[in-house]
Amino acid sequence: MNSFPDLTSFSLEAVLTILGMAAVTYGMRLGGLMMADRLPQHGRWAHVLERLPGAVLISVWVPSALSAGAIGIAGAAATVITMALARNLFAAMAVGMVLVGVGRYFIAN
Amino acid sequence: MSRPTPAPTPTTMGHFAPETIRRGAIACLPLLPSTIIFGAVLGVLASQRGLSLGELLFMSLTVFAGSAQFVSVDLWRETVPAATIIIATAVINMRYILIGASLRPVFRGRPLWVKVCGMHMVADENWAVTMTQENLANPGFLLGGGIFLGVVWATGNSVGYLLGGGIPDPEVYALDFAFTAVFAALTIGMWKGKVDLLPWVAAAIGSIIGHYTLPGTWSILAGAGAGVVTAALTWRDDMDDTSPEAEYAVDGRQAYGAPEGTPTPEVGK
Repeated sequence: MNSFPDLTSFSLEAVLTILGMAAVTYGMRLGGLMMADRLPQHGRWAHVLERLPGAVLISVWVPSALSAGAIGIAGAAATVITMALARNLFAAMAVGMVLVGVGRYFIAN
Repeated sequence: MSRPTPAPTPTTMGHFAPETIRRGAIACLPLLPSTIIFGAVLGVLASQRGLSLGELLFMSLTVFAGSAQFVSVDLWRETVPAATIIIATAVINMRYILIGASLRPVFRGRPLWVKVCGMHMVADENWAVTMTQENLANPGFLLGGGIFLGVVWATGNSVGYLLGGGIPDPEVYALDFAFTAVFAALTIGMWKGKVDLLPWVAAAIGSIIGHYTLPGTWSILAGAGAGVVTAALTWRDDMDDTSPEAEYAVDGRQAYGAPEGTPTPEVGK
């Protein structure tokens, strides 16, 4: 094993693995944009593309709220409601996080 | 109908204007505590799995995708299972195809080099913050958030790696919930009208079903897929966005996309 802390050693297989990870990730980022650029600017595809960010975003946080259990679902609901009313990202995050933090504290104790 | 024709000033022409980059960075400020703590947790994990700090930072700045990095570092052994790690990364990051596609309006009409340079530092967080800007959709804004998150992420990595433990448990202060909260809140900003309702409901149902039936991050693709299919099925001829902004953005060649700071003239949203 390497001695700790190991700050600057770069093994060839590590660098190649990381470059492979970076290549597939960047390829999908740029590739998605390039594919979308080829789609029509109007009509059904444009409509689908406009709905895409909301659909992706919802699919990112809904499962993670479920993973956090009942308190996570309550926290996500509080966040959404606060944002809809106050239109303030910081306030919405704070309400959700405080609710989850306090909720966990009381459930854990 | 007259089309808005703002003079092509440096602000409207800029691809990566410093002022815009700065604003994009500031917009991601609420994510600082959770990003640094999770960065530190990854740093601790990397020190246990035998990555050097240099290798970890190299990964953080070239791959720049939190959840894929956590899985990869967790799979890391003295003999690196390269194929497994790269395939896992590809699967977890597949959502970036959709995220990249949805960034079309931000890069509309801009040269290829701007897309090539602007698409690297795209994480879920600065993407979501950028997509909810009314008239600021601009590659510089996106890049500013990406640079900020990248610096914070790498800083967290280093702190965690050097401390090798003693990092507060993110769950205690609900810092793990910060990402859920920011995405949930930003969803509100993406609402464009009733046309969003059915695709969004479908995305929620699809991701919930995916969450209970599929492994890992496949639920994201299940939800997004359900949303896309529903959007395609609910489209009607009369739904086209014929607002001046949209027309202008499509036809305008000198000024790019929605030029930053240009007030949108009564867009019927």
